[in-house]
Amino acid sequence: MKRDWKRKIIGGLCLTSVAFVFQACYGTPQDFGNDLLVEGLVKSKKTGLPIKGIKVSVDERVQYANTDENGKFSLYIDKLQHANIKFKDVDSTQNIWFSNKDTLITINESVLTSKQPKVYLNIELENK
Amino acid sequence: MVTMLKQALFRVFRKLETKHHELNYLFWECTTRCNLNCRHCGSDCSKDSFYKDMPLDDFLKALDTIESPSEHFTVVLTGGEPLLRKDIELCGREIRKRGMRWSMVSNGYLYNNEKHISLLNAGLGALTISIDGLESSHNWLRNNDKSFERVDIAIGLAASSSRLNFDVVTCVNKRNFQELEEIRTYLIQKGVKAWRLFTIVPIGRAKEDDEMFLTDHQFRELMDFISESRTRKDIDVKFSCEGFVGEYESKVRDSNFFCRAGINIGSILIDGSISACPNIDRTFSQGNIYKDNFFSVWQTKYELFRDRSWTKTGKCTECKDYKNCQGNGFHYWHGEKKNVLVCHNERLKKTTNC
Ligand code: SF4
Ligand code: SF4
Repeated sequence: MKRDWKRKIIGGLCLTSVAFVFQACYGTPQDFGNDLLVEGLVKSKKTGLPIKGIKVSVDERVQYANTDENGKFSLYIDKLQHANIKFKDVDSTQNIWFSNKDTLITINESVLTSKQPKVYLNIELENK
Repeated sequence: MVTMLKQALFRVFRKLETKHHELNYLFWECTTRCNLNCRHCGSDCSKDSFYKDMPLDDFLKALDTIESPSEHFTVVLTGGEPLLRKDIELCGREIRKRGMRWSMVSNGYLYNNEKHISLLNAGLGALTISIDGLESSHNWLRNNDKSFERVDIAIGLAASSSRLNFDVVTCVNKRNFQELEEIRTYLIQKGVKAWRLFTIVPIGRAKEDDEMFLTDHQFRELMDFISESRTRKDIDVKFSCEGFVGEYESKVRDSNFFCRAGINIGSILIDGSISACPNIDRTFSQGNIYKDNFFSVWQTKYELFRDRSWTKTGKCTECKDYKNCQGNGFHYWHGEKKNVLVCHNERLKKTTNC
């Protein structure tokens, strides 16, 4: 621990705030961890059964994921304090159309500042 | 005086870093298959590589030997072309499950909208795409007529992400040398924030191709171009870590030259070899994940990387700048290792009075 401080102080004194952030010629820049893992499960409110093929998206962003056969989804999104997670039935795989749902989430500070921030959502959709 | 003091301080810092040798950048050569056939490629990659892709489980077993990974530990997927792996998203997710981060180097050919989304979903955090000129020079170097069109799409997508730490790299050669200003403008228009330039190592299929190598004068002009570009603030231009550039040291990068191969950078290569940057001579391998514990190799071996005194040979023997340079980038030591392949500092000194 003591050694780490020494390193950091001398690195700082070298006036290279980037002393600890580097990349090799053929490598990538560092990942500063600007993301948040959103996982969850989508079920039918009526039957309690998982729903496959629900499109999960965030605000108006390009990213989306579809729920799998177990109704599960998982995607890393931008690290935001507030986000609108949208659920939309796009394929009616179960021959039932489910209503769309918007869920506003607010991430608290301790989650956002954790090493791997994540939230888990349990979603129930009504039949149309 | 101030410069000398800074250099001295940096040498202390480098010494501490070497002693500490914290692993925070791990290359994984996950495939050697490639969908292009670039003129400058130092590897023997091809569409049908000699090696099969490394199974994800084999890599994960090695990764799991790392005890308490460092704060910024990142796995950098490289190749070949990583996007040829069908399980690339799964690879990324498994790395993230372990509390680690991952990034990728790609030629951009297969990076379309669908891929962009699935990679972001899988927690990709940083990305480097290579472009080697405007359309005709890029396609010439890549030996592919569609290459520019495809990389143009890839760059647009990657630059549109607010989350990816994304940069573009360019291998500067005689063909694209005159286009640097135009490439710069093109990248700014595409919304790219960072651009890294490097030169070719005289090995592999590039060795015999004179068009790939800048003259000493052009190399100096390249340094001038980078240092001037850095005074304009519209894009972060820098010279890659590849070598010590004497008088330009503080002008072309954010930090002094420091080859971190084997100090902070490790790798697991396609055949399981444990090494540092994938571009260094394969005889520097320190072990193999199929018979050694990866992390204990990292902790206990790598002597040649952490004590560079063996590079005081050939032209480096009498060099006044040795203490700042330590024999240039590790990837400039090949074959018999009796002399450094390229000395950037010498190239610059040759053109000082012109
Ligand atoms: S001679 Fe060797 S040590 Fe000196 S600047 Fe060139 S590469 Fe570096
Ligand atoms: S071996 Fe080359 S690419 Fe790797 S850190 Fe050293 S200079 Fe950079």
